[in-house]
Amino acid sequence: MSVAAETTSPADPRARRRRLLRKRFLRRPMAVGGLLVVAVFVVVAIFAPWLAPYGAGATDFNSLLAHPSSKHLLGTDELGRDVLSRVFWGARASMQVGFLSTMLAMVIAVPVGMVAGYYRGWVDTVIARLTDVLLAFPFLILAVGLAAILGPSLLNATLALGVGAVPGFVRIARGEMLALREEDYVPAAIVNGANDATIIFRHILPNMTSTLLVQATVTIPGAIVGEAVLSFLGLGVQPPTPSWGVMLQDAQSYLAQAPRLAIFPGLAIVFAALAFNVLGDGLRDVLDPRTTR
Amino acid sequence: MTPPLLEVEDLSVRFDTDDGFVHAVDRLSFTLDTGEVLGIVGESGCGKSVTSMALVRLLPETAVVGGRVLFDGVDLLGLSSRRLRQVRGRQISYVFQEPMTSLNPVFTVGYQIGEVLRRHLGLSRAAARDRALELLRLVRIPAPERRLDDYPHQLSGGMRQRVMIAMALACDPKVLVADEPTTALDVTIQAGILDLMRDIRERLGTAIILITHNLGVVADVADRVLVMYAGRKAEESGVDDLFAHPQHPYTIGLLGAIPRPYEGEGARRRLQEIPGRVPSLRVLPTACAFADRCSRADELSRTQVPELREVRPRHFVACFHPGET
Repeated sequence: MSVAAETTSPADPRARRRRLLRKRFLRRPMAVGGLLVVAVFVVVAIFAPWLAPYGAGATDFNSLLAHPSSKHLLGTDELGRDVLSRVFWGARASMQVGFLSTMLAMVIAVPVGMVAGYYRGWVDTVIARLTDVLLAFPFLILAVGLAAILGPSLLNATLALGVGAVPGFVRIARGEMLALREEDYVPAAIVNGANDATIIFRHILPNMTSTLLVQATVTIPGAIVGEAVLSFLGLGVQPPTPSWGVMLQDAQSYLAQAPRLAIFPGLAIVFAALAFNVLGDGLRDVLDPRTTR
Repeated sequence: MTPPLLEVEDLSVRFDTDDGFVHAVDRLSFTLDTGEVLGIVGESGCGKSVTSMALVRLLPETAVVGGRVLFDGVDLLGLSSRRLRQVRGRQISYVFQEPMTSLNPVFTVGYQIGEVLRRHLGLSRAAARDRALELLRLVRIPAPERRLDDYPHQLSGGMRQRVMIAMALACDPKVLVADEPTTALDVTIQAGILDLMRDIRERLGTAIILITHNLGVVADVADRVLVMYAGRKAEESGVDDLFAHPQHPYTIGLLGAIPRPYEGEGARRRLQEIPGRVPSLRVLPTACAFADRCSRADELSRTQVPELREVRPRHFVACFHPGET
């Protein structure tokens, strides 16, 4: 017998695979740009108190509705609050809602979808049909309805958007499970004495992480826009606490005199959402198993 | 005489499909002694894989399984799923045909072997890793220290099958069921795996059920052979006796279908195929299932089902007209 003939690639595999993925990612300028913009927003959100030139509610009654100047880079609003500072502070609400609501949706939806897909039967039928019904509602309508029931606050907006994103994640997790449960390593784990929980969460879940990651990068911008919408409608963050949606709401009354009050938070929303989407697209390309090997 | 390690009594498996029952295995009985290698041979669709999967209850819910599978005096078919999990991988291990896909792609092989050890033997992470290394060495994987941290896709098919065998042997099981362990591999690597199986039996005393459609494999490794046809036992005997004195015309047909390029007086012998196809298993047979393909078939074969008879010492045949030619 020839043992040598069976030998393959050299050692240190994990580092090599990581290096490969990094190289493939860096070759996509759009994705890299998306990542940079996302990073900037996250940094701004975390370090707003230090980065913002003024406090979130600090007023300067000597310059109301001021044009951009060296003192106020993006001008001021009707109460003399620095717009740049408020965009920075507003990033906190947006990022918080974006990440937390997506995490909430995943924590609820992924186990539900996996269990449905693994056991099939009537449990699956009920969950899948319910998901279809919920998906028939537009995401924002669902979130607005929930937020209206829960009452306005940042926490409730997060809950509403998180729950609103659940059906999408259930469908993804269930679909992945339906495919992955047919893999040969599932019966292999069964004959090695693994119980169902071990098989579902230890063996199958890690195999769908890349899909879930991509879905998350699509859900986060949805939640960011959703937060803006809810705050704009008065169902999210309450003034005077800054949030991009609140700023848009405030800007409404001054659209004719000072359209920049709406433009800057609007641009922030567009860039944040776009950056996450572009990053998600890039990740999907990089992590696609068909091109990995 | 000590009772056998594994005793299968009247095992029947039928699948409840949309167009009725399919009788995949029909009242099959056999035994396995400690340290024995039993080969189960037959064509595709004869029920050999279904039999092996029924032993560890791996069949889907559409399968109706009857009979008894006694392991150490306990009927595996009646065990609670909790007790069953304690048997699976610990007492009875299973090696699949497809080494390419039977390992989880996102974990290193060391982790996967270690997981079985930690589950059944409660080993610590470090101890499991040490034992996994030992096992890789046992299945003769070169440079096992390095392979431990490899992912499955970095290994060749033969290496992966060795890893699967290492995993199956992790808890020192009493029975190893190997379902076509060499079918998906290159011929040279097949020989290595068979060598390994022999070695395992010798060194660890593990009893092995070897499922294959390749009589050459059986001749190489098995002590006893069970020839299956259409879900039933056609012939059973010691391996030497089977090859020297085959009795069932089906067995003789199988032996005739083995390529032997270096035999004879230089003249190339045409391979003998068995005419016809495996019969449908939708209805329970009322005749010998092989009758339609058999030159010895007569009125009796076509109207009655042959029962198993002992024609030579420890040599059983289900045929009305057994004989060597």
